[in-house]
Amino acid sequence: MSNNWEMVIGLEVHAQLKTSSKLFSSSPNKFGSEPNENVNFIDSGMPGMLPVMNFGCIEMAIKTGYALNFKINKHSVFERKNYFYPDLPQGYQISQFEFPILSEGYINIESGDNQKKIRIERAHLEQDAGKSIHDIDPKYSFIDLNRVGTPLLEIVSYPDLSSADEVINYMSSLRQLLMYIDVCDGNMQEGSLRADVNLSVRKKGQELGTRCEIKNLNSFKFVKQAIEYEFQRQINIIDGGGEIEQNTMLFDTSTGETRAMRSKEFSHDYRYFPDPDLLPVNLTQEQIDKIKPLVGELPQDKLNKYLDNYSLDKDIAKIIIAEKQNANLFEKMISESTVKPKFIAAWLVGDIFAFLKENNLEVNSLNDKTKDITDLLRLISDDVISNKAGKEILPKVLNGEGKPSELVKELGLEQVSDSGELEKIIDEALIGEEENILKFQGGSDRVLGYFVGKCLKATKGKGNPKLINKILLERLKK
Amino acid sequence: MSDINIKRISYLAKLKLPSEKEEFYSNSLKDIIKWVDNLKKVDTSKTEPLHNVTEKTVSIRNDEVSKSNSVDDVLSNAPERAQNFFKVPKVVE
Repeated sequence: MSNNWEMVIGLEVHAQLKTSSKLFSSSPNKFGSEPNENVNFIDSGMPGMLPVMNFGCIEMAIKTGYALNFKINKHSVFERKNYFYPDLPQGYQISQFEFPILSEGYINIESGDNQKKIRIERAHLEQDAGKSIHDIDPKYSFIDLNRVGTPLLEIVSYPDLSSADEVINYMSSLRQLLMYIDVCDGNMQEGSLRADVNLSVRKKGQELGTRCEIKNLNSFKFVKQAIEYEFQRQINIIDGGGEIEQNTMLFDTSTGETRAMRSKEFSHDYRYFPDPDLLPVNLTQEQIDKIKPLVGELPQDKLNKYLDNYSLDKDIAKIIIAEKQNANLFEKMISESTVKPKFIAAWLVGDIFAFLKENNLEVNSLNDKTKDITDLLRLISDDVISNKAGKEILPKVLNGEGKPSELVKELGLEQVSDSGELEKIIDEALIGEEENILKFQGGSDRVLGYFVGKCLKATKGKGNPKLINKILLERLKK
Repeated sequence: MSDINIKRISYLAKLKLPSEKEEFYSNSLKDIIKWVDNLKKVDTSKTEPLHNVTEKTVSIRNDEVSKSNSVDDVLSNAPERAQNFFKVPKVVE
């Protein structure tokens, strides 16, 4: 049945900005502190306290504007969104409503083999709320206000997404961009990036249906599960002759189900109005222009550079640009050595990443070992040691057990690249092989492999295979 | 003028309103709105909205941390506390 149906999804992504202090107070903007440690009288909503705008948040919003192709608005206004909840001590959230700081942006995402443009309606600055803890006491909720006032950028897409996979690609592209421009740490487990999913269903080609909003999803896995469940739930209701009620839903991570959340007695009304404590934000073109150079290279710029200047394979280039720290490490190695970028890239996404994964290490942990790594790669690409010997030494280099050239000597892995010595070995290996030599000359290429193997064995694996190949061919063709 | 749903307004304001007072407050609010509606008589079609008469733009500060209040300061007005948390009647949505 469900193949006649399609889903229409718009996303509201909340990104915590990684400023030092909060949006309107100078309390630390920090995760994981003791309860109510990072709270002052502004954050706790004491009467008479006045919010003061943190310009760092404006700068980060403007950077995001450039990265997500937004129109950056010179004029924006903070308004009060009024509702009562224990973790919102002001009784309202300061947000932007009619005049957001960013409007009409877009990003391109991958959809199957194609690119798809996802339009973004707006992005605005607002305060995060505190946290309520319900499971300590059966009758009471415990409130921690540390998160109150943390700057959020809420990024609201148009309903351009039509599958769970597209939503995940969109979210991971956003996450990648925000991390590249250094405005969000992207840590979804800690809630630095959360999404509200607006989903409706329709028969293909028909008008938009009534949507439900699933609140506060903080992992790709939950996003996917919630979308799939909600899609089926809505189809079942309509197929059963019912109608979709516009509702706010919660996703229960233990059951994988969505359920309606807000009290339905009265519809919500946030009664937005401009915050009388905060004047409008009016930016000059000069202020906006000044921030542009801070945006730096975006993933797409790097991808183009890697393909055009370094001739990397697309798949390898994509793995490197996936995280900014990968790209930084790669570029550091290129700048420090004359080894071909393509050679570095292959080792990076191959053995080096495998080592990191195996040892549960961060990419950044290699930042002070790049010189040793490229020294080792130089030895391999210059045929001083074989590829195989390189793989053997690499973990020792990454563990800081010694300099590559010393390790090569210590382990006796230096390749024999002296053609005189190799010629001698080869000549010996060919003695008594008249029959095979004739076979080769008769056109059997397989015999060449046999000879290379025999010579390598004679060098105890240390002979330079390329050179052996070359000399062998010369000898055999005589 | 649109009708006043006094039940909804008191719900949104989180105020308990005894039913015998509903009509009184409903009428009071209607009077206020009627009075404010006088503003509609002014033609503002060619006037830019004014947000504030004193300054033109929001005052800003640099992104710097300063700790001004301790946990005990912050919790000193709490109706109830438990360790370093505010303790409130259970509210779960």
